[in-house]
Amino acid sequence: MTDETILQVKDLRTYFYLDAGVVKAVDGISFDLHKGETLGIVGESGSGKSVTNLSIINLIQTPPGKITGGQVLFHGEDILTMSDERLREIRGNRIAMIFQDPMSSLNPYLKISTQMMESIQLHQRLNKKDAKAKAVEMLKLAGIPGAEERVDCYPHQFSGGMRQRVMIAMGLSCNPDILIADEPTSALDVTIQAQILELMQDLTRRLGTAVILITHSLGVVAGICDTINVMYAGRIVERGATDDIFYDTKHPYTQGLIKSVPRLDRDTDERLFSIEGQPPNVIDLPDCCPFYPRCHKAMDVCRQKYPPLAQFSNGHCASCWLYAQKDAGSLNLKDGKNER
Amino acid sequence: MSGNILDVQNLKMHFYMGHEGIFGGKKKYIYAVDDISFTLAKGETLGLVGESGCGKSTVVRAVSQLYRPTSGKVLLDGRDLTKLKRDEMFSARRDMQLVFQDPYSSLDPRMTTAEIIAEPMRIYKKRGFFKMSDAEIDGRVEHLMELVGLSKFFKNRFPHEFSGGQRQRIGIARALALRPHLILADEPVSALDVSIQAQVLNLFKDIQKEMGLSYLFIAHDLAVIKYISDRIAVMYLGKIVEIGGYKDLYANPLHPYTKALLSAAPVPDPAVERKRQRIILKGDVPSPNVQRPGCCFYDRCPEHKDCCRQSLPQFTQPAGAAAGHEVACFLFTQK
Amino acid sequence: MKSVSLAADAWRRLKKNKMAYIGFWITVIYLAVGLFAPVLPLQPYAQQNTDHAYLPPSFRPAGVVELETRKAYFAKVMAKEGRTSYNENEQAQINSIEERNKTDPVQQRHYILGTDSLGRDMLSRTIYGGRISMMIGLIGTVTALIIGIIVGAIAGYAGGATDAVLMRFVDIMYGLPYMLIVIIMMAILGRNVAILFVAIALVSWLTIARVVRGQVMSLKNTEFILAARSMGAGAGHIILHHLIPNTLGIIIAYAALSLPEFIMSESFLSFLGLGVSAPLASWGSLISDGVQGMQLYPWCLLVPAVIMTVFLFAMNFLGDGVRDAFDPQSKNRV
Repeated sequence: MTDETILQVKDLRTYFYLDAGVVKAVDGISFDLHKGETLGIVGESGSGKSVTNLSIINLIQTPPGKITGGQVLFHGEDILTMSDERLREIRGNRIAMIFQDPMSSLNPYLKISTQMMESIQLHQRLNKKDAKAKAVEMLKLAGIPGAEERVDCYPHQFSGGMRQRVMIAMGLSCNPDILIADEPTSALDVTIQAQILELMQDLTRRLGTAVILITHSLGVVAGICDTINVMYAGRIVERGATDDIFYDTKHPYTQGLIKSVPRLDRDTDERLFSIEGQPPNVIDLPDCCPFYPRCHKAMDVCRQKYPPLAQFSNGHCASCWLYAQKDAGSLNLKDGKNER
Repeated sequence: MSGNILDVQNLKMHFYMGHEGIFGGKKKYIYAVDDISFTLAKGETLGLVGESGCGKSTVVRAVSQLYRPTSGKVLLDGRDLTKLKRDEMFSARRDMQLVFQDPYSSLDPRMTTAEIIAEPMRIYKKRGFFKMSDAEIDGRVEHLMELVGLSKFFKNRFPHEFSGGQRQRIGIARALALRPHLILADEPVSALDVSIQAQVLNLFKDIQKEMGLSYLFIAHDLAVIKYISDRIAVMYLGKIVEIGGYKDLYANPLHPYTKALLSAAPVPDPAVERKRQRIILKGDVPSPNVQRPGCCFYDRCPEHKDCCRQSLPQFTQPAGAAAGHEVACFLFTQK
Repeated sequence: MKSVSLAADAWRRLKKNKMAYIGFWITVIYLAVGLFAPVLPLQPYAQQNTDHAYLPPSFRPAGVVELETRKAYFAKVMAKEGRTSYNENEQAQINSIEERNKTDPVQQRHYILGTDSLGRDMLSRTIYGGRISMMIGLIGTVTALIIGIIVGAIAGYAGGATDAVLMRFVDIMYGLPYMLIVIIMMAILGRNVAILFVAIALVSWLTIARVVRGQVMSLKNTEFILAARSMGAGAGHIILHHLIPNTLGIIIAYAALSLPEFIMSESFLSFLGLGVSAPLASWGSLISDGVQGMQLYPWCLLVPAVIMTVFLFAMNFLGDGVRDAFDPQSKNRV
């Protein structure tokens, strides 16, 4: 991971206008991505992590969704204001995306070779023969045995893990700057997941690709990510290097999340910690801290205003009133105790 | 066996998939469950873990007789369920209820919460097995809702108005309605968010203590299985490859597959992850459509020998292993 | 958040669909008028009056209209014959009409939509004709639904041999020329309205059977059905309490769309002369009668045709709207 910033997301907002109300799927998030960095975006359902992805490459379906504010600067250019033509040059070529379910993102009627060559020919302007050779080379890199023959097969002839490898091969075939992977291993078995994650790590290190990995699994981000964004109800509640997030956790939600994952490597007989309450109802969220109803450290001010970003060392930051002392006014905990 | 609520012996579930050609030819089967045996003591939780295609969901359906097993015995409190007639099976079902995986499709979308939870009681009442008046049934529905952590004021709401975790609670309440002794839980937390998963797991543990239930708990997440189970059986391609107490299995995994599984499972701890030596298995999880003469894990096993291909390994408790910790692997039987 | 059942939710979505909503109210109005026809201030539909034959629609009393019509006719004759005054015969007729206008109460009637060849009020005939047509549509739909749901649910749930046998039967029935069979039945068994109902219903349950079977087969393996089986529910309980309620959306949509089809079938038969017999009317028979005098007396054709067409449009929009409203994509909606 280098210091060169290739992507800057500034105050991105994506809202969905539905009959039932306005869903602020992404409500003011900002982060940077450096060359070669692997960023993990962690969140549960309703956190807005998938919408973040789609917003970055401006793929939100309008209506009912709309990117209502913010900038996504890719090498200084704002993706949200790009012309369609420029967008097409970037998508698949400089920024590639792979999804959770490879069966639905691959066209079942076309051979793998056709699908891979489509992208290669479009962006790299190679002729058919060279494009096919490149496709085979990528498949080999992705660890698919018998790549020369398998390249002419159809998606249903591959197993789930193999298909995901094909997706990765397709995604990396144009040597993009950024690979966005939306829950790439959630539908896979544990042993296959290990293979795929190792492959992703290996290839992206070799090619210097930056990765944005969306997942709900804390174990996965602990294993392969350099930095982590923790999202809740459309906002980034905590951000930082992986070690900081796990060992110097600041936000109560992150703390609760880490504590509520059962541990393979521990022999404790104690009761599993659980965050009480239900995931937030994202329709017409009021402008306070969305974690307030479930937070055991909540204070009065949390109910009134959204907390400002508090900065810690090394790029680690969190949005929580516990750390924004000067803006909090009087600190009144829900149950009257002042925990500090 | 007294003290065992469930005793499964040589259970097989083979699904017939037609013939190879149009006219005759070899018959094709899916050997989803291929000769497994285990016991479950009263008040105990047995966890069944494995990847897709290992047959764990099929075990649940075969044990509960939702599919008729191809062969084998399923003894519930001493009674062999495979030999019961319809009426006897009906009365046996009271003691054995299921909780399903998908909170979105395991509840009838057109019934209210109260109707869903009351349904088993109404069915048994109609046949004379359950003696409660309608008012008493209503009362029991409210009691069950409180037990699983749902407010009784929601009893006239429909499933689509609840979140995934709350729906799972409704499913659990429904399973408890007839006061069963055994609950078969088919991946009940796999579709839930992490924070809700923890709540539901705790709920399972609490009601087990309160009601003296026994669980057969299926999951694919090793950490979840470790937390909830007393004993764990690891399945692969329709067979159990290793079985043991939850501490023993994780501290001292014997079977190569168990070792690979444990090394592949991610741990939410960066330092631990960095230090790990992963055993990466080659190849894919095979499909259970062929009956192999040798060990089911032969193709992917990093430690396989020639003898593994020729015959099936039997269960043994190796020297030095804890009591009840058994493994089916030639690495431990050739000594 | 207030609790909202799926039916109420479907109603809310239906209301948003303007065409379907208008269709709904038009249908309601038609059904209400048809239902309450006997207590409405209408003239008896079978009442003939040769003096009042072929009177055009008008809000003025029949006598005035009759006089005007006659005079207009005479004017044409006179123009052809080059006369400018009435001859004896014509004058006599005019005098007799004017005489009757002063004394005969019959002349005070109002034929808002005109009369037909036998002087029968078009409004009443169309309304009563609508009763017959709508009733045929309703009974036919209900019969088709009952038979189709039973056959479809059993075939879908039982599967295997039962399903194969039932569906082959359906396939064979599908292959038969429907109209021909109905015509033959009517020819053999006589022109009775009841026979007409039965004949139409007998061949029209086929599609609903297939649709229900498909739904049942796809629902059969969902987890909530498995859950019901695991708590000891028998096939009957599952079909009645789980499968059919979850198929209701499609059933209702189909019913709303098949009712107009029945009416069309009936009117086609009536048009061929095989439908209801005089003095009963149905929209089809009215249209058939109206065709004969189409050029000179267009209202005899237009009145029943427009009224029937509006109803069919309304029901079709309503049916489309209902089908969208019950869309099982509900889980993706917020």
